[in-house]
Order: sequence, then C-alpha cells, then structure tokens
Amino acid sequence: MAYNLLKGKRGIIFGALDENSIAWKTALKCHEEGAQFVLTNAPIAMRMGKINELAKVCNAEVIPADATSVEDLENLVNKSMEVLGGKLDFILHSIGMSPNVRKGKAYNDLNYDWYLKSIDISGISFHKVLQTADKLDAMNEWGSILALSYIAAQRTFPDYSDMAQAKAVLESIARSYGYFFAKKNKVRVNTISQSPTKTTAGTGVGGFDVFYDYADKMSPLGNASAEDCANYIAVMFSDFTRMVTMQNLMHDGGFSSSGITEEIVKELTK
Amino acid sequence: MSEIAQKVKEIIIDKLGVEESEVTPEASFTNDLGADSLDTVELIMEFEKEFNISIPDDQAENISTVGQAISYLEKNVNK
Ligand SMILES: NC(=O)c1ccc[n+]([C@@H]2O[C@H](COP(=O)([O-])OP(=O)(O)OC[C@H]3O[C@@H](n4cnc5c(N)ncnc54)[C@H](O)[C@@H]3O)[C@@H](O)[C@H]2O)c1
Repeated sequence: MAYNLLKGKRGIIFGALDENSIAWKTALKCHEEGAQFVLTNAPIAMRMGKINELAKVCNAEVIPADATSVEDLENLVNKSMEVLGGKLDFILHSIGMSPNVRKGKAYNDLNYDWYLKSIDISGISFHKVLQTADKLDAMNEWGSILALSYIAAQRTFPDYSDMAQAKAVLESIARSYGYFFAKKNKVRVNTISQSPTKTTAGTGVGGFDVFYDYADKMSPLGNASAEDCANYIAVMFSDFTRMVTMQNLMHDGGFSSSGITEEIVKELTK
Repeated sequence: MSEIAQKVKEIIIDKLGVEESEVTPEASFTNDLGADSLDTVELIMEFEKEFNISIPDDQAENISTVGQAISYLEKNVNK
C-alpha cells in the first residue's frame, strides 16, 4: 500500500547492485511513495550489476560515482540537482566493502593497505557525501541523510573483521556531521543498524548463514528483512521524523536488547 | 618479457595481493590467484584504463588466465 509519504521529494540513492540490495528495495519503495531520485553506484558495479533495470522501473537517471572520489561526488550532486530540477531532500548511503573480508583475511592477519580501503569505502565515504552536499549547498531544509550500519560497530563478531571499525567510523560521522548539518539548514543525519540480510555484501562475510540464523533466533521479532528496512528508510526520509538526528537507529527485531530467547534455549537444551 | 606483459603482471600483483612468483602465464585469476567475481571485472577495467582500450564483455569472458590477458592485450593495444 502506498501513502504518498515522499510526494515531491528529491534524492540520491547509492548502492543498488542487484535486486537483493537494500538500496534496490529502498528505491522501489521510495518510487512507490512518490519520490523522484537519481541512482548511483561505483563504475565497476554499473558494469556488473543490473542498475539500469531498476532505473527503468523507477523512472530514474543513473549517474556513476566512486564514493571515495570527491570529484565524482561533486559531479553526481551537481548533475542530480540539474536532472531533478532542484535541491535534495534525502540521500541514502548504502555502501560497504572490505578487501580483507572478501579475501578471507582474519582480523589478526590484516593487510593494512586493504584496511585503509575498507575504512575509506565503508566509512569515510559517508563524510565525503555529507561534505560534498554541504559545500554545494545541495540540501533542502529538513532534509534527511541516512547510512546503513551493523551492530558489529558495538559488539565483536569475529568474522566481521575490519568492517567493525568501518561501521564505528560511519556511526560516529553521523553524530559529528549531524551537528553541523542541523545548524546549517536543519538537515538530519542518522545511521540505521540493520539485521543480517541476504545480499552480496552480507553473504560475503564468513559463516553468514549461521550468523543470520543466530540473529533470527535471538530477535523476538526475527530478523528485519531488506523490505522492512526499505519501509523504515522511507519513514526516515518523510516529514514524520523531523526531530530524529545524530542517532544510530536499531532496526533489528529486538536483537540488540535481547539476552537470551526461547529459541536459543531450545537450541542449547539437547 | 614485453612491456605489456610486465605491466599486466604489476596490475595483477597489486589488485589481487599475490606474490610475483604466483603470476605465471597458466595461473587462473579465480582458481589460482584467489580472485572473486568483483576482482575479475576490476582487473578488466584496470587493463582498459592502463592501456586505454575498451574490452567488450564477450571478449572479457575469455580472459581468465594471466597468459590470456597478456596475449589479448599484446594483440589489441596500439603501440
Ligand atoms: N547485508 C547485511 O547483512 C547488512 C547488515 C547491516 C548493514 N548492511 C549494510 O547495508 C549496506 C548495503 O549493503 P547490502 O547488504 O545491500 O549489499 P550490496 O552488496 O547489495 O550493496 C553494497 C553496495 O556498495 C557499493 N559500493 C562498493 N564500493 C563502492 C564505491 N567505492 N563507491 C560506491 N559504491 C560502492 C556496491 O557496488 C554495492 O552496490 C552496506 O553499508 C552494508 O554494510 C548490510
């Protein structure tokens, strides 16, 4: 059911790779809710992925950008305002990549060049997006900017490796930049800490299936799906959440507040 | 070794984080050098950038070893 929550709103959505991507589901939802937006991804993903299919459905333009390149981001933001015919109301940063995780490097055997890459791509790129939008004066008042995080920023999940630091950086940037953007033009900046989700980035983490099942059993409501996440993002982009800023918002079916659940008890009583 | 072959090897060593001794002509990117699907596309794009050519997808599919990359580029790069 559509509520026209985002009617007349303009934005940019990063990170739709294929139909499993959280950004993909979000684009469909925002389109359904009446938003107009530009889709973007790294040039490599444009070559591998199916973003053009999504663009067709959403009647959206695709503008490639490597989120670690300020030059690319400036071009993206400027062109987006041109294409959409005005300033932006929302931005979704749905970007994560760690060469160490991809190559199965354990946390106590990291490659340091890759470590820096993980943090640049998955963390600092959020600052680059924010600062670019800020300097180009691209945001409307009460705009909403979101990035996706994971609870490994607070608690140790050994296989999540160096992405734990990348997510900690990401969440911290939302708090720090949230201050400046609120003061400048009441723009809000938050991160959403999402349940494990079956996507390309998610399943790249070692032992993902166990990870996923464990979280599902430890969450009184079960894992939040990518569709659930898209719904939450649409609400966070809407005018109904204007005073929420500088937060890391748990979207995890109750996982982060649970000590133990019946399902886990059952599993261990054997 | 040709200049192209040398450059190709450098790119592979840098991208995949492997040792020079592993980068033999028969070495397969995915089976021997630990590349995932993203890496293989990234490698093709690196070659395109370095040698200033464009490699169509149907040709890129046939480049799966170090030797195949070198011979494709030696044939197609204008010197
Ligand atoms: N899947 C999960 O279990 C899970 C859980 C919590 C949070 N998240 C986060 O959600 C976000 C989206 O991931 P997803 O699960 O939808 O997976 P995904 O693989 O579909 O999306 C990751 C995206 O990042 C993009 N990307 C990588 N490097 C980039 C660069 N340099 N510039 C621009 N884009 C780049 C990729 O092209 C891809 O589209 C990530 O931040 C991820 O860490 C995922």
